[in-house]
Amino acid sequence: MDHLVMEIGLAIGLVALAGILSAKLKFSVIPFYIIVGMLVGPHAFKIGHFDFRFVESAELIHFFGRIGVLFLLLYLGLEFSVGRLIKSGKSIVVGGSIYIGINFTLGLLYGFLTGLPLSEVLIIAGITTISSSAIVAKVLVDLKRTANQETEMILGIIMFEDVFLALYISIVSGLVLSSSSSLGGVLLSALIALVFMLGVLIVGRKLVPQLNRWLDIRSNELFLLIVFGSLFLIAGFAETIHVAEAIGALLVGLVLAETQHAHRIEKLILPFRDFFGAMFFFSFGLTIDPTALGGAVWMALGAVAITLVGNFAAGMLAGRSAGIPPYASAKIGLTIVARGEFSIIMANLAMAGGLAAIIQPFAALYVLILAILGPLLTKESKWVFRVLDPIFKFNARYDRRQQQAPETSS
Amino acid sequence: MDIRETYLPGIGKKFQIKSRGGDVLIVVVHDDGRRECYMEADRDNDFKPVFSLDDDEARMLASIVGGMQYKPRALENIEMVLDDLIIEWYRVEPTYKSVGSSIGQLGVRNRSGASVLAVVEKGGATKHINPGPDLVLTEEALLIVAGERSQQKAFRDILKNGCE
Repeated sequence: MDHLVMEIGLAIGLVALAGILSAKLKFSVIPFYIIVGMLVGPHAFKIGHFDFRFVESAELIHFFGRIGVLFLLLYLGLEFSVGRLIKSGKSIVVGGSIYIGINFTLGLLYGFLTGLPLSEVLIIAGITTISSSAIVAKVLVDLKRTANQETEMILGIIMFEDVFLALYISIVSGLVLSSSSSLGGVLLSALIALVFMLGVLIVGRKLVPQLNRWLDIRSNELFLLIVFGSLFLIAGFAETIHVAEAIGALLVGLVLAETQHAHRIEKLILPFRDFFGAMFFFSFGLTIDPTALGGAVWMALGAVAITLVGNFAAGMLAGRSAGIPPYASAKIGLTIVARGEFSIIMANLAMAGGLAAIIQPFAALYVLILAILGPLLTKESKWVFRVLDPIFKFNARYDRRQQQAPETSS
Repeated sequence: MDIRETYLPGIGKKFQIKSRGGDVLIVVVHDDGRRECYMEADRDNDFKPVFSLDDDEARMLASIVGGMQYKPRALENIEMVLDDLIIEWYRVEPTYKSVGSSIGQLGVRNRSGASVLAVVEKGGATKHINPGPDLVLTEEALLIVAGERSQQKAFRDILKNGCE
């Protein structure tokens, strides 16, 4: 008997339920999607026609998740603009570099500390470095902090992280997905990846006037079909040459962002990104057996501790370099600790490359903790700062600096 | 007045407005069309949210703040002075005697020297840019009129008293 539609319906229903629950509790929705996926799955049960093991549909749900990644990265590419990054100013570049410098180094060190091989170390460093733009943006809007001065720095750092993410995934995917094990083979596949990416970007840039003309289509249906067609073809082609399909999607987004139709594409893509994005978190949860989480608890907790310290320090330093007062600087670090979609994409990359199985439960726990803790710390930043300030004397030192250089303050 | 624009990736655009009086006002235009307005607070506090509006509400507010809704009652409030030339907005109140007369019948140009640049009829549905003498003034129409101060004054009288 074929109960595929029923099972998919059940899955979407559960995801919707998780969404309702998170809205009721006023919590970030991402951990709810993951938890609901973890609770069901092969280890669950079957009541009558309601099969919570998702045996028949597992493959399809994972495919939904894969599509979710494509849309997330396509959207990221569409929103990104080199011009904006350049215009964002020196303080953002300095702040972003401080953030990546501190946290990526800490991630690498922590990875080596776990004693896993190099590929796994690189994945762990990726998981722990990149914040969740989705959670951060949502929390800032929900808490009505969009007007604050530190928000510019937070979003600037996030934008900086996006660039880092794109470069990093392409390097690591060459390393992890490459079928050969010799150094020469790895280098060759990395080279192919690089040529492919530059090729798409350069050809895409040259084709912008033609793309403008070709995409000048009134019918939304035809327009969408062409965009989806190129998205899946290029992402799929990327996979065949061992470049993560996510990078293929990102490249399509970057090229389309230069056309006049970027806005229309964004608008039409948004519902697809939201739907398949939710399925992506659910399908990730589905791959996690909650009984296997125990083995990764200490590893995840250690990484959480390092991320909290590293992000807070980076926030204080970035804020200081931009002349932002201590309390506002503290909010930078406390806001960007949220982890989500990009950490999971890194973990999925590890799974696709057949790396150590511990990465999956580690990433799940790590993301769950920080996806919940991040928004909480952001909300309670005043309280956190009140506890930390007497120990580190941020305010006293800031005032002293202000007195020494009274002219530079605003 | 000092306005600073900042792009907020993933959220929208932020406008920081410092008025001549020293007030700092922040308007965040969200990508989903919402507008949020914030006021400055002290150093350790977040900016204080003042109001949040949907797109259509924000446009309404803009027209109120911009004087499109009310201004014509205080007739001399909105004026752009270019040397001696003043552009003013008038609303044709129902009590005005000029209602029902055409611009030519009123003899606007001959009697006042002012010139009607445009007429927007009630509700904004019909707009006449550079109207001819045949255009008949209707109740609640908005008139945009150019002229020197004395000409504007004369025009206002014609508007109120019609052809007398």
